[in-house]
Amino acid sequence: MKRATDEAITLDDAYWERLMAATDGAIAPCFQCGVCTAACPWGLLQDEPANVRQILRRAQLGIPESDGAIWWCATCRACEVMCPRGVPIAEVMLTLRNLAWQDGAVPKGLSSVLWSLHWDGNPWRRPPSQREAWTKGAEVKPFEPTDEILYYVGCTPSYDNRSQKVARALAGVLNAAGVSFGTLGEREPCCGDAAYGLGQHDYLRQIIAANVKLFAEAGVGTLVAVSPHCYDMFLNHYPRENGLQPLHYTQYLAQLIDEERLRFQEPLEAKVTFHDACYLGRRNDVYDPPRQVLAAIPGVTLVEMPRNREDALCCGGGGGRMWMETAAEERFANLRVADAAETGADILATACPHCIACLEDSLKLAGSPMRVMDVAEVAAAALGIGRSAQ
Amino acid sequence: MPGLHTIVCLKVVPKSEEVSVDPETRTLDRGNARSEINGQDMNALEAALDLKDTYGGRITILSMGPPFFEPFLRLGLAMGADAAYLMSDRAFGGADTLATSYTLAAGIKAIGGCDLVLCGEESSDGATAQVPPGIAEWLDLPQITYVSRVQVMKKARLLRARRQLQSGYEMVETLLPCVLSVKLGINEPRFLDFQRWEWAMEEAPVTVWTAADLGLDEGYLGLPGSPTAVSSVGAAPSAQRRGEFLSGTPQEEAQQLLERIRPLVRLS
Repeated sequence: MKRATDEAITLDDAYWERLMAATDGAIAPCFQCGVCTAACPWGLLQDEPANVRQILRRAQLGIPESDGAIWWCATCRACEVMCPRGVPIAEVMLTLRNLAWQDGAVPKGLSSVLWSLHWDGNPWRRPPSQREAWTKGAEVKPFEPTDEILYYVGCTPSYDNRSQKVARALAGVLNAAGVSFGTLGEREPCCGDAAYGLGQHDYLRQIIAANVKLFAEAGVGTLVAVSPHCYDMFLNHYPRENGLQPLHYTQYLAQLIDEERLRFQEPLEAKVTFHDACYLGRRNDVYDPPRQVLAAIPGVTLVEMPRNREDALCCGGGGGRMWMETAAEERFANLRVADAAETGADILATACPHCIACLEDSLKLAGSPMRVMDVAEVAAAALGIGRSAQ
Repeated sequence: MPGLHTIVCLKVVPKSEEVSVDPETRTLDRGNARSEINGQDMNALEAALDLKDTYGGRITILSMGPPFFEPFLRLGLAMGADAAYLMSDRAFGGADTLATSYTLAAGIKAIGGCDLVLCGEESSDGATAQVPPGIAEWLDLPQITYVSRVQVMKKARLLRARRQLQSGYEMVETLLPCVLSVKLGINEPRFLDFQRWEWAMEEAPVTVWTAADLGLDEGYLGLPGSPTAVSSVGAAPSAQRRGEFLSGTPQEEAQQLLERIRPLVRLS
């Protein structure tokens, strides 16, 4: 039998001071109600999931975390929207990760992701010289300051075979609406989301400083991003004095529809359910624009999953989880695909490259006839363009 | 022994996918290629950092190359190395592996020797794997090549290494000091430590040495010191992939794949 003294914990004042400084006292308001633990999606899949309340309590006391629990967080903020004390829980998790970087206590494989960012400018270990490979078969030109928008493609749509189709579909839709746009091509930098999600705040600061300079030199004003992660980075983590105006592409398409520049005439007969990406919805309150785009397509019947908008279930790919392994039977997306299938939808639509990857993987496991499509792909299909995008 | 002093030899190489071959002169065109630290050398540095974490001591980075190498050496300092030396002189240009290993060995002597020299197995642009053995010969030190794991028995000044071969591995022991070359991918290089960043980029000592600084005999350096001459370069035909697709459930696909692979490999 263990004696009580075996369990005794020595409080580390130095760690406590570092933690308080790093989190700017953000954990102080937590009064240990435990709603966060109950709200955490890991509880739906694991018998003994990471205990969010306990992580926060340990942080309040200055007890270093040692079992890797902080790395499970997908920063989906399902806990935050329930927290009665307004604790920025996801940010606290990322700060704890930042301290882990400083202490050299980081899980295997994550340094390599950041080295990939450093050497290749993307987290996927792909050559920077192949960043434009996605443009094959798409009409895209280099960005000029006179263009209406900078089309910011981002790393995953640039390199990931599946998401390249989304990038091409969106280029097709923008062309169909007569938008003048261009990309930064090979010069397009990573927004820094991987560094952010893995808690490497110091490196993120460098990335942002370099990108701010690059965007200013290129004359970037309105920036339209494919990924909600890039959009969130530009919107909430970049300085705005240089006139950078980030939009998620669904916001921009909704605007084009309002202005009657983007018109869907042919019907696309399909029952569609929309999965809210955390970095679009809970993080930035962008719930309506993707639905507006889908609703503007004649023939589309939009159905909602019971867990939608603020209550949407995360795909599991945020907060750096894209670069960590999750056992096949423990993936949030398994539940999400089941949610979607229950609506009887033909198409599970979303608007995030990470969601696409996670949902499609789970769909393969489920063997459902439903299809996962990006909103841009649904729009392109309705316009009869980008057959290859399907 | 107050801790190990390890010298890590490090080379900056062009990103291999960005190097092209001039079809007429058949020389490598590195003009537009971005640079990076040679992958194996990153593994050598991580191995050294790991030893430093365990046994204490210090790490010195040594490199031979043009002045643009310097910021790359500073990345090594930000990872945890303590000092860096760059041997940079036009006289070093055009060196083959003999002249390169001579120059690096001279650098190691000038630093004042060390307990351990760690190198990457080979560079991605030269790919000879001759430089680490060359260094060992010039310094008359024992060498272990193709190392995948290192252990040091500090008091006995004994080093034990796992030497990875195609058919298996050898466990080799030798006394310090010695020279090791490590295989690509034996560890995961740690990312930059930003608590060291300012120091590494601005204050850390990066000493630049010319041939004259060390009083080296020019007959052993660069092109004059290089007996190797490339007489011709040929293009290897690239393999054509068949691009066949399997279909079925994941289980069926895996089964089909296994049946295809089985005749081609010996499964023990």
